[in-house]
Amino acid sequence: MIQEEKNISLPQFNRNFFESEESFSWIGTGSFGGKASGLAFIKNIIDQNINQEEFPNAIVSIPKMVVLRTSIFDSFMQRNNLFDFALNEESDIRIINEFLKADLPVEILGDLRTIIEKVKAPLAVRSSSMLEDAKYEPFAGIYATKMISNNQPSLDIRFNKLVEAIKFVFASTFFKASKDYFKISSHSVNEEKMAVIIQEVVGQNRNLRYYPHFSGVARTFNFYPTGKSKPEQGVVNLALGLGKTIVDGGIVWTYCPEYPKSPPPFGDPKDMLNTTQTTFWAVNMNPIVDYDPTKETEFLSLNNLQDADYDNTLTHIASTYDVRSNKIVMGVGADGPRIINFMPLLYMNEYGFNDLIKKIMKVSSNALNGPVEIEFAATFNKETDKLHFGYLQVRPMVVSAEEVNLDDSELEGDDVLVASNRVMGNGIIEDISDVVYVLPDKFDKKFTQKIAMEIDSINKILVNENKKYLLIGFGRWGSSDPWLGIPIEWGQIGGAKVIVESTLFGINVELSQGSHFFHNLTSFNVCYFSINYDGKFAIDWNWLNSQKIIRETEFVRHVSLNNPLKIKVDGRKGIGAIKK
Amino acid sequence: MASKEFNPFEMAQAQFDKVAELLNLDDATRQLLRNPLREYHFSIPVKMDDGTTKVFRGFRVQHNDARGPSKGGIRFHPQETVDTVRALAMWMTWKCAVVNIPLGGGKGGVICDPHHLSMQEQEHICRGYVRQMAKNVGPINDVPAPDVMTNAQHMLWMLDEYEAIHGAKYPGFITGKPVGMGGSLGRTEATGYGVIFTVREALKELGIRPEDTTAAVQGFGNVAQYAIELYLKLGGKVICVSSWDQADQCSYTFRRKTGIDLQELLKITDKFGGIDKVKAKELGYEVLDGEAWIEQDVDILLPCALENQIRGDNVNKISKRVKIIAEGANGPTTPEADKFIHERGIFVIPDFLANAGGVTCSYFEQVQCNMNYYWERDEVLSKLDVKMTSAYLAVSELARKRNLYMRDAAYVISVSRVAQACKDRGWV
Repeated sequence: MIQEEKNISLPQFNRNFFESEESFSWIGTGSFGGKASGLAFIKNIIDQNINQEEFPNAIVSIPKMVVLRTSIFDSFMQRNNLFDFALNEESDIRIINEFLKADLPVEILGDLRTIIEKVKAPLAVRSSSMLEDAKYEPFAGIYATKMISNNQPSLDIRFNKLVEAIKFVFASTFFKASKDYFKISSHSVNEEKMAVIIQEVVGQNRNLRYYPHFSGVARTFNFYPTGKSKPEQGVVNLALGLGKTIVDGGIVWTYCPEYPKSPPPFGDPKDMLNTTQTTFWAVNMNPIVDYDPTKETEFLSLNNLQDADYDNTLTHIASTYDVRSNKIVMGVGADGPRIINFMPLLYMNEYGFNDLIKKIMKVSSNALNGPVEIEFAATFNKETDKLHFGYLQVRPMVVSAEEVNLDDSELEGDDVLVASNRVMGNGIIEDISDVVYVLPDKFDKKFTQKIAMEIDSINKILVNENKKYLLIGFGRWGSSDPWLGIPIEWGQIGGAKVIVESTLFGINVELSQGSHFFHNLTSFNVCYFSINYDGKFAIDWNWLNSQKIIRETEFVRHVSLNNPLKIKVDGRKGIGAIKK
Repeated sequence: MASKEFNPFEMAQAQFDKVAELLNLDDATRQLLRNPLREYHFSIPVKMDDGTTKVFRGFRVQHNDARGPSKGGIRFHPQETVDTVRALAMWMTWKCAVVNIPLGGGKGGVICDPHHLSMQEQEHICRGYVRQMAKNVGPINDVPAPDVMTNAQHMLWMLDEYEAIHGAKYPGFITGKPVGMGGSLGRTEATGYGVIFTVREALKELGIRPEDTTAAVQGFGNVAQYAIELYLKLGGKVICVSSWDQADQCSYTFRRKTGIDLQELLKITDKFGGIDKVKAKELGYEVLDGEAWIEQDVDILLPCALENQIRGDNVNKISKRVKIIAEGANGPTTPEADKFIHERGIFVIPDFLANAGGVTCSYFEQVQCNMNYYWERDEVLSKLDVKMTSAYLAVSELARKRNLYMRDAAYVISVSRVAQACKDRGWV
């Protein structure tokens, strides 16, 4: 936990909560879970340190939230006798269905109904498990968050949707992805308990789409510093719409808050057009939505940039590509394709946003005594002409401190299997004798989902044999977009101790950005090598292909080495080498 | 147990008169409301299993239907009297009004003892009852429900007879039916849970955490069982329950100071709520006199059995520690005892508020039946909680604002609602 929960002194829920000044309330007993205790802890610190005088154009708050503490989960599981089923059933859909059939504890039903009576805006029902988001406990992002539109005319329907969403989040504790995690962690799924946060979604409703102008993830330590930036200067990812784009590892805008005007390295303006955000997530406020309580995205819609243009939400965050001059013009004054590069906000420091995020990063990092990762969402409010900044989450990051010295000269030589100057992690590993790699001559973007399944099956075998391995593949690991990389869940590659990500043939996409993916990499102390397929550091495929094949599927091969690899990663320099 | 002189109807009238005075009601309204609008007294001939014919007396009283169809249970009890039924019908009127559901008050009864009747004989009584009343009850004028010693099976027989007579399906005729046959999820738990919803709110107002409290419960039937269940879920501790012993024809109190185990007791309880005293002793319970529940050193008393249980002769046995009495039963406190309790400053949640969960859920059942679409249990119980909590808060707020006793405040709300409905209809 981020702090001792006994120190959390916040009001118990009462049915007038949504009319009160309070922003945080709880129901039940037991733990608040990682996410909620993080927010409870940071709330006063933010209130005290971010003041109106310093940031007159912004209002920072934690969106109003009610936490169902873990006793509710315990009662739900016990009274409905769900433990045996949930622990033994492998199909997520069956688990969800069984949970949907079960009853929530009667003690909370009236309170939930009151919440629905009082709030008619979209709600996020978020997991806040005991292990999630805690330092060294890499359970970030494996549990569900379900958004509900909460705009149906019938109170009963809205109530039922909230109940379904809570049960869905409870069920996600036992999803396959979660169980896969537990196999590779030091915990058992039996130890896990789920608190749930019911929170107002930051955003505004435009044309049946409810979303914030932008969402973001700020990390006070940057594992991939580019240009002038240094690791300790941190990094911020920004995206139009809901934060799902960022946490899923989609295309987002990444910058160092010390250099807000330095764009990521793009070849030319056209490149930027192709490699910046083109879609965004919103809560779907359409009155007719396909009924599917088993789906996390039941009430979400994936929209195109044109929709945002139509909604008039790009003013402060987009630029326009001028085809005739092949230039990018700040803002949306002219017609033309939009580019989500946040230039008005970052170049002009509109609303003092960059100063604000720097301050928030500093304050949060100080409060948690180390590097942190923050999730937020913000809207520009026309009436107040202020930026409403919603602080959604804070969690500590793990940054390895072990001193490893590696010279650039060691990155080259016949004995090097792979080396890179973009490496995450730190340390020396000398006990890996298994390599799982995607066959380069067979790799095809069309088949990334199939490749993910093949890797999953090999991973399972190696995890059961308790063997750590080196994993090599192409494109973004963990991408939600199968065209950008292999759409794999963290648990499906959980046995990998070292991962190599090579860019796709000829396509220079940004490296893996999924915040949960990162949190897990760092928490599990996995070393992560990024290389350009045709760049300076190449993989010695010939040597790999000559090793003893243990198993091979259509796209993936598992080889066993006679001698363990010697892997060295210098975290401070961000370089690493894997030697044969 | 009840003294022979006790007349519940007189008690109900006395309570009404007091409130009529508080509200300064006109004479016509007083006359209209202190008596039932209609009464039906009838005989039910039944062919018994041994071939003989026995005639049972039945009643149906419709106290007032200005706010909607009459609503009230049908009781099977050997000591049934029409005055009991009248009182209960009147209380039903107030009960429906206090939780603000669009129903009036009614009640029915048959003088019989189901302990000595086979299932077939009970079915004949049910069907005979409906044959007598079929013209005067129904989903749009009077909706019966289970009550003392009647259950979902009895309701289903009555529904079947009613539908046979009228030649169509009328699931909204009667409530308390089995789930899947027009019954509502959550109905079984509703009354007991409702009692505890109000106790929970009272504790909040008194600034006491449920987990810091103990309770003594009279009765171990449906209301008591579910009240105990929810109270335990909130963290409270029940140290004793009392229950009727059919063999000994008296009640006993089963006490365990470290707290009773509900599931354990349910395993040794018959379908009428009678606990096996031999097995209870084996499980470590003290078996005390039937009235011992009232003198326990607890924070909360939950009388959930019959009327006339807290009287002038036993009210002074109530421990000084008791802070709340929540009346799960109908009319458990006599006016004499009530005065004493009021003076002692014990916080009373009056019967027709505390146990209104049953009729509220019956109303939900009827709504579901009428549209032939049934809600999930979560939905039913959430609505029940909100309805009960709102009703409780309205009563306690009025009590605070006008410095009224809780019972009087509840009466003021419900009687004024019913009187207004009569007035609006032009009856008075």
